[in-house]
Amino acid sequence: MEFLLEQLANFKFYLIGAYPRGAAGGLFLNISIAVLCLTISFFIGAIFGFGRLSCRKFVSYPCIIYIETIRATPALLLVFWFFFFIPSVLGKNVSLFWSAVIALSIYSTAYQAEIVRAGILAIPKGQMEAALSSGMSRFQALTLVIIPQAFRIMIPSFVSFFISLFKETSVTYVIGIVELLQIGIIVTQRQPNRMFAAYICMAIGFFVVCYSMSHLARVLEKRLGIHDLSSYRPTVCRADLLLKPCEAKNLPTQNPT
Amino acid sequence: MITGVKITILIAVVTSVLSLLFGTVIAVMRNSRIKPLRFIGKLYVEIFRNIPGLFWLLFFYFVFPEILPFDLGKKLNAYPYYPIVASIIGLTLDNTSYVSDILRSGLLAVPKGQREAAISTGLSRVQQYQYVMLPQTFRKILPPLGTRMIHNFKNTSLCMAITTPELMWATQQIESITFRGLEATTIATLFYILISLSLGAIIILLEKYYKIDIASITKMEA
Repeated sequence: MEFLLEQLANFKFYLIGAYPRGAAGGLFLNISIAVLCLTISFFIGAIFGFGRLSCRKFVSYPCIIYIETIRATPALLLVFWFFFFIPSVLGKNVSLFWSAVIALSIYSTAYQAEIVRAGILAIPKGQMEAALSSGMSRFQALTLVIIPQAFRIMIPSFVSFFISLFKETSVTYVIGIVELLQIGIIVTQRQPNRMFAAYICMAIGFFVVCYSMSHLARVLEKRLGIHDLSSYRPTVCRADLLLKPCEAKNLPTQNPT
Repeated sequence: MITGVKITILIAVVTSVLSLLFGTVIAVMRNSRIKPLRFIGKLYVEIFRNIPGLFWLLFFYFVFPEILPFDLGKKLNAYPYYPIVASIIGLTLDNTSYVSDILRSGLLAVPKGQREAAISTGLSRVQQYQYVMLPQTFRKILPPLGTRMIHNFKNTSLCMAITTPELMWATQQIESITFRGLEATTIATLFYILISLSLGAIIILLEKYYKIDIASITKMEA
């Protein structure tokens, strides 16, 4: 028990590393990498998500290939790949922090794109049709009607994705970033007899952040109160008002009698 | 590198099967009437879901032998295959929590009438789960379960951190001998993409095979 208290008294090292005297590290670095990746990949992910929904094949196929390829590779591998790839292309070394941020942004872009796509698909077609029939252009309909509704649906999944991204940041220790896991390993190397206590401290650090975030996700889900959008289903009367005009050919004829 | 692929697949398969078993147990525990059992299940899931898998791998490799009583820890450290065993334990525990969460949501999605019908036909509690609840649950949760299994396969790359001789570790060995990091990592990436995409295809086939044709059932009833 004393070991544990001693390590807990050392909490500053776990939280911000050797910051005033050296580079920042620890849990602060984990959170900053995760937040940076989330913001960068949100915008790129939105582009890929819309791209995948596009009915033009030269737009949607590259997006599908990108998303499926990245989703099939482990984050660890991407972190390594960019660690080797960036110096060989640019000819100079990028700092470890930015190499990790780029790799994890690329990784999370694919997942964000899927979240955006799922959010937009959850909006019933009638919304788009109503917007178009009230005289909006396709762009207006998308930005003023579809996205505000879809965003509401997406927020809880963004929070839960942030949790898994936060956990993925722990893999960046393999390229030598001094984040929480690396801090714990440094402590165990300096004081091998405090190993158990150091690991408990690491676990507490991860647990507190993730648990509070998942609690936030649950609260948000309740407060946003997703509406039952699927209850309203008008029938399609004009083919050119469809969400995807290229599907108009497959539409069944209106009056089979 | 090929031995690396073999060990990666071995770890992935063993952890998937084990975590499916334990996950079922924990999901049933979380669904039970007895409060302590429910509490234990919830505690387990919360702890293992909120701490990264890499942490558990390091924990079981470095710390677990230290806290064992007597000389068990030293024996474990001397055991040549201990990295593989530790990675299997760590990944299984990590994956079990996710699988049990998916299974629990599947169990909750089974309509109440099914259970009531099972009780009224005189099945015992074990039989209820065995013949009525679990088969329906597994059909329902196949897509998220498949995604989780692919994720688990990808997580085996983390075992590199504890010197398990799997694909990623082999890549690092090649890199340190030949200094051709980019080429080795690219080939490893191709291997991972190939295996995960084929896993995904298998899961889609399974889904089609086990899908209940609701339209035909309603026709039969009519």
